[in-house]
Amino acid sequence: MRIPGWDEDKLLECRNLTKTFGALRAVDDVSFALWKGEILGIIGPNGAGKTTLFNLITGELKPDKGRVLYRDRDLTALPPFRIVRAGIAKTSQILEPLKSLTVLENVLVAATHGGGLGLKKGRDRAWTVLERVHLTSAAFLPPSSLSVLHRRRLELARALATGARLLLLDENMAGLSASEVAETLDLLRTLNASGVSFILVEHVMQAVTGVCQRLVVLDLGKKITDGVPQDVMAHPKVLEAYLGDADLTDGKDPDAPSGGIS
Amino acid sequence: MEISRKVLRPVLAFFLVVALLPCIIDSDYLVRFSAAILLWIGMAGCWNLMSGYTGYIDFGPVVYFGIGAYITGISMSQYGWAFPAALALSAFVGVLVALPMGAVTLRLKGAYFAIATFAFAETLKQIILEFDRTFGVSFFQGSHGITLPLTAHDNTFFYYWIMAVTTLVTVAHLYIEGSRFGYGLKAVKDSEKGAQSLGVNTFAVKLGAYLTSAGFLSIFGGIEAYWISYITPADVFHVHKTVQMVIMTLLGGMGTLAGPAVGASFLTIISEILGETFVEYYLILVGAIVVLVVMLLPEGLMGAYRDIRRRTGAGPKRRGGRKP
Repeated sequence: MRIPGWDEDKLLECRNLTKTFGALRAVDDVSFALWKGEILGIIGPNGAGKTTLFNLITGELKPDKGRVLYRDRDLTALPPFRIVRAGIAKTSQILEPLKSLTVLENVLVAATHGGGLGLKKGRDRAWTVLERVHLTSAAFLPPSSLSVLHRRRLELARALATGARLLLLDENMAGLSASEVAETLDLLRTLNASGVSFILVEHVMQAVTGVCQRLVVLDLGKKITDGVPQDVMAHPKVLEAYLGDADLTDGKDPDAPSGGIS
Repeated sequence: MEISRKVLRPVLAFFLVVALLPCIIDSDYLVRFSAAILLWIGMAGCWNLMSGYTGYIDFGPVVYFGIGAYITGISMSQYGWAFPAALALSAFVGVLVALPMGAVTLRLKGAYFAIATFAFAETLKQIILEFDRTFGVSFFQGSHGITLPLTAHDNTFFYYWIMAVTTLVTVAHLYIEGSRFGYGLKAVKDSEKGAQSLGVNTFAVKLGAYLTSAGFLSIFGGIEAYWISYITPADVFHVHKTVQMVIMTLLGGMGTLAGPAVGASFLTIISEILGETFVEYYLILVGAIVVLVVMLLPEGLMGAYRDIRRRTGAGPKRRGGRKP
């Protein structure tokens, strides 16, 4: 399905996405767009609907209303594997690697199925991706033997191996030390330079202010505002949503000591 | 498809021995016994293709064995078809029935899938039993069963037919062990949601395994029908056959290449040996051995073998393929 009047610089657009669970409006009429090559952050207090929004984009949940448009195709409510093959991959907040396969095989599944490659080419890509995330030494290990940092990198490697042009990172930096976060941010910048766009759901303010070029703020399922990080952080509605939340002081001050708040 | 030499060598050696066996041994009993082992290796292999690799426990695979037996029986006895043509038709009908069955049942999970497949096998058995009486026709012959044209062929003939199909089942295993499709199945076994998020069309790979398994089982049913030349619904749809396939695969090791072969040989041979010595009680003994193996070796005999190799420092396999 081609979208008429699609702006070629636009990568993803969510139009009026709405999802209710019983009486709860988890995502309420949310619209936003992502430009090619952009790193967009989605922030908001707990329960704001960030993860639900991700799941609507990846097809794990079907929206009650609204559309998900990618490049010039309508992906709304396609099954998750079709969305991955279209070019959107997600790293999960809950780490769930395929436990009976090796690290390499995990990435290989992503490259061959999500990326549609044959076994040979898929293996080449898997090794390339493992190299990019510095996991080659763990290639033949079971994922259960990896540290949290390395498991998060495996999530990233699997998403990259699908050949996706848009990666959704759901709290990929939660539980990492400040230096590990910095390392991950460097990696994201390198990947971004090679043409991959990102949407981050993140509580770690160092990450949000460090790499995001634009932020979308959700509260109780609704989009409050969006814009460049400095403006968004000073927005009165954002302050209100976060009122009493010490996280924000970290984010407002770029010189503040780095540290993960989860 | 990629096959490592380490895997291919023992497989080729095994089939070389199997192919030469009837030329070496000159006891008809041993040929018949070996044919029975090969048949069970193939049938347990069919179950392993589907349930072993995907983790979907199919409790009604016997339904395709029965369908194959009946299609072969009817096409040979009532329409005078040749044996190979009857087998081809059996495979075709088996896959044709499996298509809608798989499409419906593979959406179920865990125990629900097991119950649905079991119920389907039992239902089809009842339908074939009652069909003729209900519709006043003479087709399936109900509980009287069908007598196939008497065969002039000896056990060696059936031995080679079984060997051929079991070889194909083994090739299907090799394909799974070294292909994109196989990785899709293994991903489904670990986590269906996780597999989807990596781009695996989980429904398609499950259905692929289910259809392959059903097609081969239908052929085995056809071979056995011609071999024993008399079939009844109670025999060819008997749940005992399902149980055998499941237990043999569990004994050998689910989702492994050699598991069904090891389990089927082990169970058939100990049943035969114990059956000769303890005619009255051998089933109790076989049951006890099965329980013991499953308790002590939860990953089957192949799992135990792998552990021993690991402990003796044989080194882990570089699974997934070396760096280019």
